[in-house]
Amino acid sequence: MKTVARILKSIETIPAFPATGSKVARLLGRVDYSVPEVANVIRLDPSITANILKMANSAYFGSAHPIGTIQDAVMYLGQKNLLLAIQTAGISKYYKKGASGYFDKATDLWEHSVAVALMSQILSKAITGEEDTTLYTAALLHDVGKIILGEFVRDELYKITLLVSRHGLSFLEAEETVLGINHAELGGKIAEHWIFPSVIGDAIAFHHRPDLLEKKDQILPWLVYLADEACLMMGMGSPVEGLAQRAVGQVLTKFNLRMKDLEKSMVLLSDDLSKARDLINII
Amino acid sequence: MSDLIVGIADLKISKNGSDFLVTYALGSCIAISVYDPVAGVGGLLHYMLPDSTLDVRKAKDNPAMFADTGIPALFKACYGLGAEKKRMIVKAAGGASILDDTNFFRIGQKNIMAMRKIFWKNNVLIAAEDTGANHNRTVRLDLKSGKTFIRTSGGEMKEL
Repeated sequence: MKTVARILKSIETIPAFPATGSKVARLLGRVDYSVPEVANVIRLDPSITANILKMANSAYFGSAHPIGTIQDAVMYLGQKNLLLAIQTAGISKYYKKGASGYFDKATDLWEHSVAVALMSQILSKAITGEEDTTLYTAALLHDVGKIILGEFVRDELYKITLLVSRHGLSFLEAEETVLGINHAELGGKIAEHWIFPSVIGDAIAFHHRPDLLEKKDQILPWLVYLADEACLMMGMGSPVEGLAQRAVGQVLTKFNLRMKDLEKSMVLLSDDLSKARDLINII
Repeated sequence: MSDLIVGIADLKISKNGSDFLVTYALGSCIAISVYDPVAGVGGLLHYMLPDSTLDVRKAKDNPAMFADTGIPALFKACYGLGAEKKRMIVKAAGGASILDDTNFFRIGQKNIMAMRKIFWKNNVLIAAEDTGANHNRTVRLDLKSGKTFIRTSGGEMKEL
């Protein structure tokens, strides 16, 4: 079987995405939802329940007193943060094994992903004035393709890095040349396998080249791109490709940002990350 | 023997010959290692951004975040353990940039320029430097030998 066919076949081995998140989102969308009702849905998923409690008690969500039950967590976190916490808890289980080939340690990919998700919210707040839970999910999942592509990259690392160092290709382009598919496109296909909305799939698939997406009105891929590049510059997670990425210069003018604004966001991220250890430690 | 990990926007010093000061994951950030062979004092700084005027309050809380506050803080901390400026061996690594770097993401370049300016103004010579390009780096300072080692992503540990 050709490499690319083997890679695509591996998608089928990824377990279905936990339905807890979408169930809770649907409940919260109703005007008459009740806290016990939401708590009951979450309780059906023991791994998410345990992680939600850990996260509700983290400094990132700013709890002043200990939160012991899911019901308290639902009330304390509020709609938006509850959704963020459920997505984080649900997604974390796919990242447990890490992505060898890209990262030295299993937890590095998760750490990088959480950093990009937090950065996406900082940028969204700076640009649109609001945080955005869909963007958060897309950012948390932007590198999900690496959980499959990692072992293929590991086997061909010599060829890939040679194309980067000798021929000036970006790591993404080199992946595609050697393996027939890159981690971003593959991530988009995993999002399809999970039946995610296409805005999330597109943001994942185009997170290194938002300029190539034909749907020009979408801003999610651009925000994920910017958050990812900022985190890579800061060395968050430190994948094997380093900074061998294409610069898509229009991104700053698109959002009317100056370099200083991006630097300020980096300072804010370093604060957020120090409070978010519990989010990172759930895997 | 113990590894003292220097995080992002962090600095550590030591005069214990069995210590190693280590910092991982330098992207556009820069690591400065200093060592005084007579006093046996070494320090390692991992700064993130060039200029503290961006956020003066933050710089006060954590000088190690910026080149212009972090580098003086590193030297001062080493003087506190008995190091002297004229004996200190200074090495630098990091400051990587993304490809076809236009005027947009020049943080790596700005970090390199900031460090050179500070050292030049203070008459400090950089003994060895591995900066720029587009790969991540890990830096280790061995307090026993005073040697600084560097590893680029996927590569071997080499002396800087």
